[in-house]
Amino acid sequence: MQTDQTEKVVRRDVGGMVTAAVFILMAVVALWDTTNMVDADSFVFPRAVAIAMIIFCMLLIVWGLIRPDLGNGEVSAPGASTVRRVSLVAAMIVSTAAMPWLGFLVSGFAAFVSIMFIAMYDQWTSFRKLVYPLVCAAFVVGFYFLFAELLLVPLPVGSLFE
Amino acid sequence: MPGIEYLLEALTPFNIMLALCGVIAGTVIGSLPGLTATMAVAVLVPITFSMPPASALILMGAIYTGAIYGGAYAAILLNTPGTPSAIATTFDGFPMAKKGDGDLAVTLACLASVTGGLVGAAFLLGLAPPLAKVALAFGPVEYFWLAVFGLTLISALSEGNLLKGLIGACFGLLLSSIGIAEISADVRFTFGSHVLLGGIETVSALIGLYCVPVLIDLVATPDKHLKVTHQPKGFRLLESLRISWKYKINLIRSSVIGTLVGILPGAGGSIAGLVAYSEARRVSKRTEHFGTGEPEGVQATESANNATVGGGFIPTLVLGIPGTPPDAVILGALLIQGVRTGPNLFTQEGSIVYTFIYGLFLATILMLPVGLVIGRYAYKIIITVPKAMLVPTVAFMTMIGTYSIRNSVSDVIIMITLGVIGWILNRVGYSPSPIVLGLILGRIAEQGFVQAWTIGAATEDLTGMFFGRPISLAIIAFIGLSLFYPLIRSRWIGRRRKVRAD
Repeated sequence: MQTDQTEKVVRRDVGGMVTAAVFILMAVVALWDTTNMVDADSFVFPRAVAIAMIIFCMLLIVWGLIRPDLGNGEVSAPGASTVRRVSLVAAMIVSTAAMPWLGFLVSGFAAFVSIMFIAMYDQWTSFRKLVYPLVCAAFVVGFYFLFAELLLVPLPVGSLFE
Repeated sequence: MPGIEYLLEALTPFNIMLALCGVIAGTVIGSLPGLTATMAVAVLVPITFSMPPASALILMGAIYTGAIYGGAYAAILLNTPGTPSAIATTFDGFPMAKKGDGDLAVTLACLASVTGGLVGAAFLLGLAPPLAKVALAFGPVEYFWLAVFGLTLISALSEGNLLKGLIGACFGLLLSSIGIAEISADVRFTFGSHVLLGGIETVSALIGLYCVPVLIDLVATPDKHLKVTHQPKGFRLLESLRISWKYKINLIRSSVIGTLVGILPGAGGSIAGLVAYSEARRVSKRTEHFGTGEPEGVQATESANNATVGGGFIPTLVLGIPGTPPDAVILGALLIQGVRTGPNLFTQEGSIVYTFIYGLFLATILMLPVGLVIGRYAYKIIITVPKAMLVPTVAFMTMIGTYSIRNSVSDVIIMITLGVIGWILNRVGYSPSPIVLGLILGRIAEQGFVQAWTIGAATEDLTGMFFGRPISLAIIAFIGLSLFYPLIRSRWIGRRRKVRAD
């Protein structure tokens, strides 16, 4: 118990401070971009915000250096899979990027099926093998119909199918 | 008080059917992330063209009120505000659901929405013409201070680290200034990219910052999405009624705040919810529980955002100035019908206006059974659907919902990117709520600030412009209270304890 407490005292919020440094860089880039603006109406507000951001970030870094902090970020659940996390984001981005070529129906179905595989923790029984893809197809087609036909959203058809 | 004949006119089987269908359609559309109340009304407006004006208004009002309430489902069960009005519902609604009280939160939200809707409609019925003057009393500087008031919530949402909250808010404010500046039309922070010219779409950003991190964590472990501590016990209506009665003052106060904010053109349900949440938190005896699953927080937001429906109709009908974005769509539909809004509408076309107001009461009351039933099924689906189906369904809905806002693939990519950034920032202690607050309030704050600055500079009275107007001073006083009241209160309690101990 004693050791645990000692460890907590010396821990610094490195993640928070590194992120603050990234934010300072971002604010500096924003300040630089405002030098291209001619109208004061355009740059007064973002410039004030960027300067405030730099001050807050510097305070956070100084505070983190002089006073070790426990940080208050969320902690990953034990055994959480980074591969699945990255795969989920990749599946969403790739299918979205493919939308102009494959169209919404095909890329949406691809996204749905791939994310289903990524999120699957149960065993693939015969029932699941049969029912899950059918549910996927019904859901994607149903939503496509709702948005494209009833709500008249012009979902991309895909240059490959035009 | 307008006569009973209008009430009877509102209660025809056709109008009751319209109110019921409108509430159901609105609730379902509002519950889907990306589909806002404005979109729900806009999509269904063409149906109303062949109807009598009062019936058309009843249908549109019912869709609107249903959509605002529907936003609460996704906020509570998925941590994704279905509509921007439900942002503050996520603060306590999702923690309640995580603790196993999702069904209670949904029922509480329904009761609060009905209460808020009824209070807003009552103000519309009884006080519309005098209250419409409030809308005209609000100038740019008042909007600026109102946005600053909303930003004071950052101290409450920073979860123990105010500096990180302030940095997050600055990040959100900078994000809000990407694209073409509203007043000077300068291109800002696009770095040559055409994609960023239109700026960051608020609802897409909301979906990304709130929903994508949940999906990323959901997919990483086999654990259930929501903890279920008990078998679903029906609606938990009696328990919700007990809680609602216990915090009745909070309900009424938040509803009145919602109505008053709704009257202000352009402010809308998101600001109403945030201001009501801030006030509920400030006044509550359980301040420290806010953000961890406090029923009062859900009540405050949901009653306030539904009260904006009635409140928003006040300037729309009396002045012809839409109070909220859906009101602008409804105003357009009324003009097509040949109804001329304005101060004389209440006297010359009373049959339309009062029949509609009674219809709004009817739709709000119908929201209780409809909301309870849909809410129960939404909760059951979320807790019973296997993860392999839930994650792709929600991910797919975020993608199609985001796309449909501006028909833009780039918005979907931005939404996912912001989600990943939000997830990383959350890991290092930067909560997404201050970022969202900055993003939403940034545009209102900047517009108000620049306009007030220009007027002040032209009249050579900048100090008077910002600090010399009575409404501004009242809002500044609330800002001060919101920031320093917890400190004053804790000192006062400490002093009282000390006196007692002596």
